[in-house]
Amino acid sequence: MDQNRQGARASYVALAISFAVWVLLPSAVRRLNREAFAEFQAPALHLVGKSRDLATFWEKKSRSTEEMAAAGRDLARINAALEIKLNALEDIRRENVRLREITRYNVPVEYLSVVARVATRDSSSWWQRIVIRKGRNDGIRPGAPVVFGNTVVGRVTAVHLTTSEVDLVTSPGFRCTAYLEGDDQNHIVLVNGVAANSLGTAKARVSVIPRDYSMPAGQPARVFTTGMGGVFPSRLMLGYLDGGTYATQVGNFKESLLIPSRDLYNLQEVSVLVPLHQNPGEALMQGDQFQ
Amino acid sequence: MKESSDTRVLPSTPVERLRLYGVFFFFAAGFLYVVGGLAFRQLVQSSDLKEQSDTQSRRVVLRPPARGRIYDRNGFPLVDNRARWSVKADLAALQKEFRAEYLRLLAAEKAREAVQVDREKLMEDARVRVLQGWLNKVWFVIDETNRSSKDRKPAKLAPVTAPGERQVNIEDLRKHLRERRALPFTLVSDLAFPGTGQALTADDGTKSVARFIEQFPVEGPIRLESDIVRTYPFGAMAAHVLGYVKDTDELPDNVDDISEIRLESMQKLHYTGKTGAAGIELSYNHVLSGLSGWELWSKTSSGYNQTRLKYSEPQQGSNVPLSLDYRIQLAAESALSKVKDPQGKLLPAAAVMLDVHSGEILALASQPSFDPNRLADRVSANYYEEIEKSGGWLNRATQGLYAPGSTFKVITATAGMRKKVIDWDDILECGPSYRVGNRDFPEHEPAGFGEVNLDKMLAISCNVWNYQVALRTGIEALAAESRRFGLDTPLLQTVSDVESGRQPMTELPYAANRGLVVPDREYKLRIGAGAWNDGDTANMSIGQGYLLTTPLHMACVAASIARGQTRTTPSIIHDVRRDGHHVGSEPIGLTQAQFEALRGGMVRCVEEGTARVARIPGLVYAGKTGTAEYFKKGEKAHLAWMIGFAPANDPVVAFAVLVEGQLDTNTWGGKTAGPVAKEMLETWWPIAVKANQEEKAEGSR
Repeated sequence: MDQNRQGARASYVALAISFAVWVLLPSAVRRLNREAFAEFQAPALHLVGKSRDLATFWEKKSRSTEEMAAAGRDLARINAALEIKLNALEDIRRENVRLREITRYNVPVEYLSVVARVATRDSSSWWQRIVIRKGRNDGIRPGAPVVFGNTVVGRVTAVHLTTSEVDLVTSPGFRCTAYLEGDDQNHIVLVNGVAANSLGTAKARVSVIPRDYSMPAGQPARVFTTGMGGVFPSRLMLGYLDGGTYATQVGNFKESLLIPSRDLYNLQEVSVLVPLHQNPGEALMQGDQFQ
Repeated sequence: MKESSDTRVLPSTPVERLRLYGVFFFFAAGFLYVVGGLAFRQLVQSSDLKEQSDTQSRRVVLRPPARGRIYDRNGFPLVDNRARWSVKADLAALQKEFRAEYLRLLAAEKAREAVQVDREKLMEDARVRVLQGWLNKVWFVIDETNRSSKDRKPAKLAPVTAPGERQVNIEDLRKHLRERRALPFTLVSDLAFPGTGQALTADDGTKSVARFIEQFPVEGPIRLESDIVRTYPFGAMAAHVLGYVKDTDELPDNVDDISEIRLESMQKLHYTGKTGAAGIELSYNHVLSGLSGWELWSKTSSGYNQTRLKYSEPQQGSNVPLSLDYRIQLAAESALSKVKDPQGKLLPAAAVMLDVHSGEILALASQPSFDPNRLADRVSANYYEEIEKSGGWLNRATQGLYAPGSTFKVITATAGMRKKVIDWDDILECGPSYRVGNRDFPEHEPAGFGEVNLDKMLAISCNVWNYQVALRTGIEALAAESRRFGLDTPLLQTVSDVESGRQPMTELPYAANRGLVVPDREYKLRIGAGAWNDGDTANMSIGQGYLLTTPLHMACVAASIARGQTRTTPSIIHDVRRDGHHVGSEPIGLTQAQFEALRGGMVRCVEEGTARVARIPGLVYAGKTGTAEYFKKGEKAHLAWMIGFAPANDPVVAFAVLVEGQLDTNTWGGKTAGPVAKEMLETWWPIAVKANQEEKAEGSR
């Protein structure tokens, strides 16, 4: 009995000592520890993502040859149309470059696009964060915007060697400026994720809407990025204003909710837009050099 | 043994029992006291105690409302509100950082073996250092992104940023900790306009805000807050009418009345609000101010806000529609800005245009002016001094007191005809001067004008005609006529106040209600200048001497003559229901022929007389110029005047223009004030024609 008691006491003491050591550890060591854990966890996350890809592959493999042939024909048509569009875009790009040279226009921010598969959704922040299978090795940096097509998905918050964490638009850690469709004066509004309840739907809040703003009739107003903050390119879709809560007035402005234009729960692939030049926000995220 | 020991516990003697019962009673009484006390507090005192607890553990934070907008007569916003984005530090969230920095500083002091350590000073230093660190980060984000990504040129923002905005102000921090510890401390008061006052371009300002929003970490002690700040989209336009706002700690309403909880006993903190300081912002402050919002917070033991329990949003104030037409106002100010001295400095001047029938003021300009945007927030002492030095605070259109010069001749002529000492077709011989007593009063034309009737007098502005008529009329009748035209009456009072005899609430503060002088015998004796003489009457007949009036009064005189009446009640507020009732007005009292001659003379003045420089092809209008003398630093200078109404046959608007000439300027009524009047009318005329066409089209439908 005594031995048992002593053993239990020893384990409590060990726990207390471990806790005390953890608390007293310098923050750099703790950060290193967390980083090491993320790296340790990364292969498992890769495995989860790849297993899902494999499942999708076998699901597609089971389809009939006719189905595949029809899908192939459709794809060929889409490809042909896209190629024409690509050529047209290339012409526009060249014209843009020429005009910028003539007008000595200051190119805002240039990005390198890195395509990444989604490994998993992170449950630790109420599923408002995803983990992607690209990291520092692929040139991804913290703060980079993450998009799918023309739609903003979120923003990279942490980068590990082979994985990165992305805060979704609906995450409380996400914030950006936006324009509202139908606002001729282009007032900037604020889009901020809202902390979701455990079973609630994730949302983002659109605030600082001018009081005299009125939504275009017959359709929910689209919400676009401004491109002024130096992080997100301009005119990317963030989502739609939720008409139902539109009339809410907070303080001297109006406020509404944002309905994301993509189903953020079912993303499989995203593009990370890595700025060619580091912006100051990245420096802030990387360390304290100002005190 | 055991039994015997147990029985020994109980008291056996009566004394011991008594003692035991005494102890029981004591405990029972104590228990009852406690239970009774608790029940009393719970059942009887509960509401009072809850209130006490609330008072001690909660506080109310009051938020000022947005002010109402000010529009022109067509609904165009002249004063608006814009979002102001400020960067604030949550002091409660920074407590750990303050403490860590304090310990670091303390350790450094001890290592230095300092004899005496001032711990309070160290704590203050720690706070400043931590806040400065965060402020540096804020500016790092803004400055770095303002550099071109390619060539890294210096930030565009840098030259207009006041150094004060880059340093934590210790005095501000001390005051904040003393008075508003629970509220966040402001690091940058206006991200879009850093340095306050020097406006960036709208684009640069918005970029700064956007950069902060997107690049600064969301979580942490530094917050971005948005509130409303007054903005004047046209800058200095109509600044004297619109006024400006200043900070106030008094919120516009009694919050206790609007909340459903009892707030009066709680500690109240409030954000600084705005109140009108001049112009319409001041006189209509009660309309423009809205209802304050409030937030009920629980607080921590160290006095910081903890949780927001309830809140009520502020409600914006009502809008005020002005009678101004911003197009005419802009035209008036643009025309005035061309009136300069030989060194290119703006001459002090004023211009007024009003609707003849309603009395609503379409334009009211005063030069020099100021930009209310630069006064809407913290006002820099330099800008204050700059305005003070230039005389920009004075609204010359309503507060400037001037001799009306020859524009007064329309009143002298009316007085003469009403007194029947002259008729419209009487001809007077007007030589180069006229002798009054032992002094020759000169004509402005050295050769004189010969035979002059009313029509010609108005066209050429003959002085001698007026000397003769005024001496026949007498000072009593001349002064009475001036008063009949309201030259001694305060203007811009609300009609209801005037009629009810209440203490007048002027539409514009300090508007045209002080220092007006219509002189007579009594006046001259009162000021100790001796007895009235004929020379004084001759002087007054041409708008000189003791007579003092404002450009707004002279515009009203022109409007009254245009309608064939004596008074015009001007208003700066637009009201479609205004019925054209003018307080104290009566018919001018001239025959049709006399009135036609008066109007005809004013038309001739524009067509071929002293105001011909202001002639507008296609628009026949009536005018009268004036060049009055005044003394500046002991030397004579000139005031240039022009009044009139248009169109001559069916008047719609009346106007007055005044320019203060300087010692080195060649200032004359027609030549200097005429072009200003012309530019105003040229802007008004197409607007009026278009409005007329639209009205006709509406009528024919």
